[in-house]
Amino acid sequence: MYALLAVGLIAIYSVRHIVNLAQGEFASLAGLGAVWLISVGLPLVVAVVIAVVSVTATAVLIDRLIIARVRQMTTLTSIILTLGVATLLQALMLLAWGPTARGLPPFPGANVLVGGVSIRSQEFWMLGTLVVVGVGIVLFSERTRLGKAMRAVAEQPIAARIVGISPVLASVVAFGIAGFTGALAGVMSSPLSLSVWSAGLLLALKGFVAAVLGGLVSYRAAMAGGLLLGALESYVAGYLDSGYRDAVAFLILIVILIVRPAGLARRVSGVRV
Amino acid sequence: MTAPAPRLARLAPTRRRNELLGLGILVVVVIALPFVASPSVLGIAVFAMIFALPAIGLNLLMGLAGQVSLGQAAFFAAGAYAHAILLTRFEIPGPIAAAAGVTAAMLLALLVGVPLLRLHGHHLALATLGLGFIVMILARESDITGRNTGIYGFSRPVVFGVTIDNNALFLWFVAPAVIVAIALAMNLTRSRVGRALSALNDSGIAAESLAVPTFRLRLGVFVLSAGLAGLGGVFYAYHVSLVSPAVSDLHLSVEFLLMAVLGGLGSVWGALLGAVAVEWLGEGLRDIIPALIPGAGGEVQLVGYGLALVVVIIAMPGGVHGFALSVWRWASGLAFRRRGSTQPRTTTQLPTTSPGTSTGAVPTVSAPVPRDEPVLEVLGLTKRYGGVTAVDDVSFTVPAGRIVGLIGPNGAGKTTCFNMISGAISPTAGEVRLLGHQIAARSPHVAAHLGLTRTFQNLQIFTSTDVRGNVYMGRYRLGRAGFLRGLLGLQGVEQRRQHEQADRILDALGLSDVADVAAADLPFGRQRVMEVARALASEPALLLLDEPMAGLSTAERHRLASLLSELRVAGLTTIIVEHDVAQVLALADEVIVLDDGVIISQGSPDHVRHDPAVIAAYLGDGTTDPAVAR
Repeated sequence: MYALLAVGLIAIYSVRHIVNLAQGEFASLAGLGAVWLISVGLPLVVAVVIAVVSVTATAVLIDRLIIARVRQMTTLTSIILTLGVATLLQALMLLAWGPTARGLPPFPGANVLVGGVSIRSQEFWMLGTLVVVGVGIVLFSERTRLGKAMRAVAEQPIAARIVGISPVLASVVAFGIAGFTGALAGVMSSPLSLSVWSAGLLLALKGFVAAVLGGLVSYRAAMAGGLLLGALESYVAGYLDSGYRDAVAFLILIVILIVRPAGLARRVSGVRV
Repeated sequence: MTAPAPRLARLAPTRRRNELLGLGILVVVVIALPFVASPSVLGIAVFAMIFALPAIGLNLLMGLAGQVSLGQAAFFAAGAYAHAILLTRFEIPGPIAAAAGVTAAMLLALLVGVPLLRLHGHHLALATLGLGFIVMILARESDITGRNTGIYGFSRPVVFGVTIDNNALFLWFVAPAVIVAIALAMNLTRSRVGRALSALNDSGIAAESLAVPTFRLRLGVFVLSAGLAGLGGVFYAYHVSLVSPAVSDLHLSVEFLLMAVLGGLGSVWGALLGAVAVEWLGEGLRDIIPALIPGAGGEVQLVGYGLALVVVIIAMPGGVHGFALSVWRWASGLAFRRRGSTQPRTTTQLPTTSPGTSTGAVPTVSAPVPRDEPVLEVLGLTKRYGGVTAVDDVSFTVPAGRIVGLIGPNGAGKTTCFNMISGAISPTAGEVRLLGHQIAARSPHVAAHLGLTRTFQNLQIFTSTDVRGNVYMGRYRLGRAGFLRGLLGLQGVEQRRQHEQADRILDALGLSDVADVAAADLPFGRQRVMEVARALASEPALLLLDEPMAGLSTAERHRLASLLSELRVAGLTTIIVEHDVAQVLALADEVIVLDDGVIISQGSPDHVRHDPAVIAAYLGDGTTDPAVAR
């Protein structure tokens, strides 16, 4: 789940150099949206598909209507802006669906016993989604023309524009990926961890740490980082009162940020003057 | 060409008068408000005053130091909880508990600031967000903080025998703190420390090279900002008589952020304006939204906050304050045109060619050791990147009062060498001694404090101020006033002296005619001269020049060269890294030639010019060098 969010964050960061604090809202939005669609009588599959598609569209709209409107984007303004978007989305979810946490019904499939440990079928669904999306995104980024073009935009925006790559298209695709992966993370995890209007920022932060573990550039490393973070968190949770669980998780996050700001894979490089 | 007004222009007397006037008006409003306002307006005013404190703190942090904090509520909560706990559990008298509350917030900031402030940009922002979460969870889960119910049941404050038990009295109770905070914040903004913060926001490495201890200043303003948040928390606890996890809520951080942004970053008044606006907006939304959408309640004002943040960033990035300023300019421009005047609004004409009148006076330099004694000793300096050795065992000594040229073909390791001496990068091995002090692998400001300063190949100018402001920053090393004096505004004499010195240097380098021009609007060549002026303003013992001739016209090169010769006479020691070999050979007393990271030749310009190794290095590199061939 963190891995999927990290993928979305990286997609946007690599093209626009923005950390999208609203990333987690995509997950909440998709989760709650799907729950609502089911409550009006749609079957699970249809609800999930509609939720994911519409959240992806929302993400693209957010880019075009809000992010792209700002002429001078600095780190400061980008953070404030995406925080504003996140707050806005949260409030809208609260207005529309109220404060209670809800979950989707579990996806079909039986729980499996592996070595005496029961693994829930939902976890297989999540893992499967991650594998499919992960392979897809890596292939897209490294094999297709558009994917390569986006990496070019990320590295040399001006040069990319000179050779005819549209930054608008790259940005739209990036936000599309972010919305898509965020929404998938939301619906896939909803049966287990429930969706609630206020959880988005927390998710965005955890996704960010996973992305940082990957150095904010590499999809593969970020997905590994996400899995690592999830494992670390559930390991710690076993020893602690559940109330403090998140506090410890964030402590780990901060430590990771401080110790490894350039990611696990890369060494911290020297200052270029 | 419209020159944007520099954010921190030199303090004009009228500005100070305006500030005092503003404070006066605020005092009058605060005194009068309880007599004229309705109860609900009064209630909003009290909350606005309380929340203005953390907002002012955040504004200083973001406007001055360019750092965003998403965890301001954490410090607000620290202040509120510490205060409440001391009052209820230990029955400590109010004033002491309040002071302890503020101290607790500042201590927390100090504790987390030391590791966190090593981060920058996005990482720092997200780390403060994490901090906010942690404090929120602790407040909710710990027995000390009373879990979800919080702490309640402490008595109202009593001032001079009067119990502060209504909104009017509370407004008068909290307002002095806000007024003092505004005054202090304005003092700080234009103090030595405040200007340094603003400079390091523009260019961290340039500020470091002028002896600004960037980390310490960032930490200082972080702690100060937390202290203001803590003070806000203390007042909040008093006013509401209940401290619950709501004070640590993330949405409160968002609210503070909105106040600071809405008011306008870098404007202290903006924070107060923002606090009033947000409180008023929140109150209004709480009434309006349930009317529009039945059944909505609770945190519905979030819609408004989110929307407001987005709109402010898109439509008026300068906040209300900046918006008002631009409307004012537009209006006065309109009035101008109506009078039929054809004069352009900006009166400063930028000279494209540079000759300003120079008084011919050479700037002061410091000569801490007698001529020919070593100023800088480099011993076995080595830098490896992975398997590549960029600089390999380089040793040399620079005697006082000399100009030493460092040349070599592209990729020879000149810049790496230079950066290790200035402290921008740390060497893999070797020592750099400046006046006997070891400076290798230490922050640039350490070396700068000892008298080493530098210019940059890729100019690092402070764009938020004018030319005089840039040169003034060079004086940082020679100033004394710290945070406390800055806050209290007790540095007028020192500031005036530093400004006079800065003006003298502007004169000496022929920059007087552009002293008030925004630094970013200066033509490239003069920006370079300005950087040299800034470096000289620190009265350095050793001046490092990184490709100072690049981008200069021939006339400008000659002027710079003759200035450097004059400074040598005055006793200045200079190291110059340069591509223009002819210029270096003409100017330097001694030349060091690097190739592939090692010194291949060293000695007088004449010696180097005829050294076969040098000729081979340059010709072998494919660069025919006119000076060598000559």
